[in-house]
Amino acid sequence: MQVLRSLLFLLLLLTPLPALAYDVLIVQSMHEKGYEEAVRGFRKECRALSRMIVLSDYADLDLVRIVREEHPKVIVAIGDRALELAQRQGETPVLCMMALNVKPRRWVSGISMLFDPARYLSLFQTLGTDRVGVLYDPGRSGVYVKKALAASKGHLRLVLREVHAPKETPAMLQSLRGKVDALWMIPDVTAVSAASTEAYFLFSQSERVPVVSFADVYLTMGAAAALTIDRYDIGRQLGEMALDMLEGRDPEEGMVSPRKVLSRTNDGVVRQLKLSGLGGH
Amino acid sequence: MRRRTLRLPPYAKSFRFRLYLIFTGTVALLTAAFVSFYVATEAGTYRSNLEREGKLLATILAHNARLPLFAENVKALESLAESTARYPSVLSVSISDREGRVYARQFKSERIPDDAVTMSVPISLPSGLSPESALLGHREGNEERVIGEVRLRLDTTGERERVLTLVVASLGIGTLFWIVVSLLSYHVLKRVTGSFNLLLGGIEEIGSGKLSARVDLDGDDELGRAANAINAMAASLELRELENLALQEELLKAMKLEVQEEKKRVMARLIQTNKMTSLGLLLSSMAHEINNPNASIRFSGHMIGKMLADALPLLDGVWQEEGDFYLGGVPYNKARLVLVENAGKIVENSERIAMVVQGLRDYGVGGTVRQHQKLDVNAAVGAALSVLACQTNKDIQLNTSLGTGLPVVAGSQQQIEQVLINLILNAMQSFTGGHGEIRLTTRCETGGEEVLVEVRDNGSGIGSETMERLFEPFYSTKLERGGSGLGLYISQYIVAEHGGRLELTSCPGEGTLATVTLPAATC
Repeated sequence: MQVLRSLLFLLLLLTPLPALAYDVLIVQSMHEKGYEEAVRGFRKECRALSRMIVLSDYADLDLVRIVREEHPKVIVAIGDRALELAQRQGETPVLCMMALNVKPRRWVSGISMLFDPARYLSLFQTLGTDRVGVLYDPGRSGVYVKKALAASKGHLRLVLREVHAPKETPAMLQSLRGKVDALWMIPDVTAVSAASTEAYFLFSQSERVPVVSFADVYLTMGAAAALTIDRYDIGRQLGEMALDMLEGRDPEEGMVSPRKVLSRTNDGVVRQLKLSGLGGH
Repeated sequence: MRRRTLRLPPYAKSFRFRLYLIFTGTVALLTAAFVSFYVATEAGTYRSNLEREGKLLATILAHNARLPLFAENVKALESLAESTARYPSVLSVSISDREGRVYARQFKSERIPDDAVTMSVPISLPSGLSPESALLGHREGNEERVIGEVRLRLDTTGERERVLTLVVASLGIGTLFWIVVSLLSYHVLKRVTGSFNLLLGGIEEIGSGKLSARVDLDGDDELGRAANAINAMAASLELRELENLALQEELLKAMKLEVQEEKKRVMARLIQTNKMTSLGLLLSSMAHEINNPNASIRFSGHMIGKMLADALPLLDGVWQEEGDFYLGGVPYNKARLVLVENAGKIVENSERIAMVVQGLRDYGVGGTVRQHQKLDVNAAVGAALSVLACQTNKDIQLNTSLGTGLPVVAGSQQQIEQVLINLILNAMQSFTGGHGEIRLTTRCETGGEEVLVEVRDNGSGIGSETMERLFEPFYSTKLERGGSGLGLYISQYIVAEHGGRLELTSCPGEGTLATVTLPAATC
């Protein structure tokens, strides 16, 4: 009887152990359709054992302690908040997606939200524009713009305007009057704020120049075309990276651009601006 | 206190004028009500339009100013304020941020009236997506962020002027409308009431007695039908009048005939009355002529009686002494009885003549009514029969059945005799062939309180028509035979004066019963 009790006690102690034995700790910032779509793509590609934590479900989560106690092999951060929390620990490699403000870290890699500038430049070339206006915050998008500027040389001319506060956007746009054939709206929270978004499309209407944006939601506001990400494919792309890491292969360093581009156009704007080279999508 | 009455001119009493007054008054009231309602509605509409215009201007300005305000572009904001202030109804424009800092302000004039309408609209930024949200597929928020305010002051002077213009125009149009409608209604009423006047004129003419007049109104409407009805009525009245005239003429003729006949009857009655009066005078004269010799006879009778009374003892002595002797060819024994008897008869008959003459005199002249006398009905019957003794003949059988122990009656015996004489005479004249029987009965009734005298005959009787008029004065079926028509009239009067009643019952062909009921005299 004494032996039986001891065995039962040991069984109870050992029962949680299989649940804690996982390889991937998925940390999601909040319950959001876009995040969940990406997670679905990730799980489609990476079927390793994982634990899912949604930060918005916790008031105060001690991720460092969890990582220290549960020893996941890789942390998948979804969203900026999750990435920020994951970066506080320095033991486990972090893969991130759906995050915009990624600070370069040695153990952090993932899928960027920004396409390769060459994709946009190719689109502008298709539109037949020579001068493309770009508003950006050097502190946020300076690297990306430099990359774009380098890629554009010899093909078209980027007319750059720096903005350091959202309220400068309308004035900077006004300064582009007559100087550009198209506007490139990049995902810079300083250059493109909720308040100043309208200024882009007013400028587009008054100057009759197309706006090429980074999300299809702007098509309804007046953008002529948008190159948008496929969240499911981003998840799959990150899943492949996670598998590489779990299987001991070194994944690609740093942030990788999404491999799949979805191109959308607003047929009405295209028709009004008489743009060539854009078919309806 | 005398009430002052409002004297209206004749035209004011006409149907046309009253109708016109009512119609124009109603139109004036309706026009005034409509103008008031219209002005009130339009005034409210002007103000709401002004507010709507101000709201629209402020909303447009707020929409246009949100980017310049977000960018703190004062120049653009001033330009917007200036362009908005150009609107005539805008007095001032100001654009300020959330903290109240004014970025642009425009005034049309320094002095802004107190009743200016203030319109404030917040300047809101649309709830656009941030780049992160757009990329991550977050849902777009609905909240708008207020970053400032647009304030407009709107001038209501134009509104007042427009309302004043509206009032003046409405009153002018309303008055014009009223005048036009009044003129039209006057003509319409004149046309409509013309038929009324024509109808009224015709009715008045017919009403004045000229039944040959007609209402000259054509048409199938109500007035036309009324005119036709009145014309038919007038024609009917005219026909009736002609018939009445004919009937009147016939009536006049009949009345003339009747009057002539009545005149004849009245004249006959007057003649009869005159005869009666003459008869009365004759009777009085006769009484006077009879009374004088009768008085002498009665006196002589008394004297003869007295002398005979004195002479009889002497004659008896002579008879005793000398034996029987003759007086006037009659032995003394018989002559003595005859003398005594005849002497008595002379006095008695003389008194009787006096009584009869007195009766005739009273009948003719009218004697003094002695109502307070007490009479014996049987005596009155006897007296009446003695008066009529000369009238009776052997063909008429007069039977009397006089009751015994009859109570006396208060009244005039002579008048009761007159009543009985009239009734007996009527009975005697009812025999068409001169033969008949008269039964005269007296008796006591109702326990001795009343005395009845019945005169029954078996003559021709009285017809029902005659029976109804029996007691009328001067009504007689025997006027041509000397009847006066006053007998029963006077008899009924006398009996009634005695507190009694005279009743006649008759059956034609079987006879008549006349009953005199007299109350017994009280002790």
